[in-house]
Amino acid sequence: MEPLPPTEAMSELSITSHPQSKSESESMSEQMSGIKRDHNGVKKEKEVNASPFMPMFEAFRDELDEHHDRRERIIKASRDITAANIPPKIALETAERYTAMQKQFSAIAADLTGINAWRYQRQISGGIQEYMEAVSFEHYLKHQRLITISEAAGTLQEGIELTGDDYVLGLFDLVGELMRFAITAMATTGSLPGGGGDGGRRDVLVDLRELRTCFQALDTGSCGGTGLGKDVEKKMEVMKTCVEKVESAVYGLIIRGEGKAEGLGSGYC
Amino acid sequence: MVNPSETGMVDPRIFEELQNKIDEDAEVREQIRAIVQTLERQGRGAQSILSRAHSTPAAHLKPVLDAAEGAIKEEVASIKSLSDVASSSPYYKYNGLWTRDVQNVIFSILLCGWLGGMAHNGKAAEAGRLLTIEDVGAILDGTLIPIFQRLKLTISVPVNLKDRDAFHISIEEYLQSLITLIEELARLAVNSVTLGDYQRPLQISQFVKDLHAGFQILNLKNDSLRRRSDSIKYNVKKIEDIVYDLSLRNLVSKS
Repeated sequence: MEPLPPTEAMSELSITSHPQSKSESESMSEQMSGIKRDHNGVKKEKEVNASPFMPMFEAFRDELDEHHDRRERIIKASRDITAANIPPKIALETAERYTAMQKQFSAIAADLTGINAWRYQRQISGGIQEYMEAVSFEHYLKHQRLITISEAAGTLQEGIELTGDDYVLGLFDLVGELMRFAITAMATTGSLPGGGGDGGRRDVLVDLRELRTCFQALDTGSCGGTGLGKDVEKKMEVMKTCVEKVESAVYGLIIRGEGKAEGLGSGYC
Repeated sequence: MVNPSETGMVDPRIFEELQNKIDEDAEVREQIRAIVQTLERQGRGAQSILSRAHSTPAAHLKPVLDAAEGAIKEEVASIKSLSDVASSSPYYKYNGLWTRDVQNVIFSILLCGWLGGMAHNGKAAEAGRLLTIEDVGAILDGTLIPIFQRLKLTISVPVNLKDRDAFHISIEEYLQSLITLIEELARLAVNSVTLGDYQRPLQISQFVKDLHAGFQILNLKNDSLRRRSDSIKYNVKKIEDIVYDLSLRNLVSKS
């Protein structure tokens, strides 16, 4: 594989380094200080060829180049999936969003097959969680049920693995989505979706509380700093806040009467 | 629409299964950690033996190498059990738990091989040589060959391993160990002079320069490999300075 031109290398570098830190010139000089590909002067080339280890390193270089390219593609797709996950205003949009995400996954499915499924887990994890959020919300709107891991995995492009960790972490985000849904519905229709007046039906708040109970019962103490253990604490807090927001919105609805769920519309998590 | 017979939103089995998964993962991690701990201890042992090379003239290295090979043999046994435990999970799922210690083992093998030990597969030991990643794989275990997607310089690697998920030595691990080897050889160059061996620094200088040339063609990203490989040039310089000093004082024959 040919070495990439420096400009492209720079943009790649800015992806792997801390997102919005450091100026471009800084990361440029950082790159220049290393021993890198910008040494294709004739004299160097001659010296390079003299090393008996070159064939070995050339093979390594090709392997690493492929690895970095795959990694970049996956990072980009994961970001695009996140970008495509815009909160839908109407149910119709969830389908569109869903298709946009699917497209990103098919672009990188080949990069994530076999042994590489876990190799790039950290890069794709964010995108998968976003997808989980979207797909579980869509499933809820249709069936009022929580999507199971195998149902969710079934909707994913073949070859893309849904880990238990990403499944749970995506479900945490579903709570935020449900909150948004509940509050929007209350603000526009003046009542909580699902419940209505007909007694025995569950409403969104009942479901949110059930989810909260399940999450809180989950023992992730053994996970340490890996996957779940790393993110679960923060997501748990956000999840609780979301449920409580809906709870106080319902309270507000009862106190102030229908159609006046004010002061609640803006504070989404 | 809601099926009236279904009471809750969440099928309780969902979270039961999740909990099982979490617990199973924790158990695998525990098993791996126990082996890695052993490996860590063995690694320290092997490296302490190998560090005697710094105070032993090349002619008397044999006992050091024999002891080192013994220690490495124990490490190889640990890697075998690691491979057995890890093989039931995707390689990259837990790879971070052991990579550091595996790099240590590779480094011990590389240094021992460079010093003139680690004869294997009918290949005679010879001081100053580089064990390839395939050599290392063969030493660790016949089955422990690295997974390459299209590496042509291998003889015994099965073809089309692209989609096989198995325990192996990665290129990154091998390269990391090479960097450690370079650092160690820079120290050895100094100590060779102290031992009165003026030829070995020259040999080290050529060897490290050749490796350096190899590292120069790699397109490394902003990762740990790149950060560490930046140290190579300082070690090259350190060794060149020694060669310079020896030449200046006419302590090495000019060829």
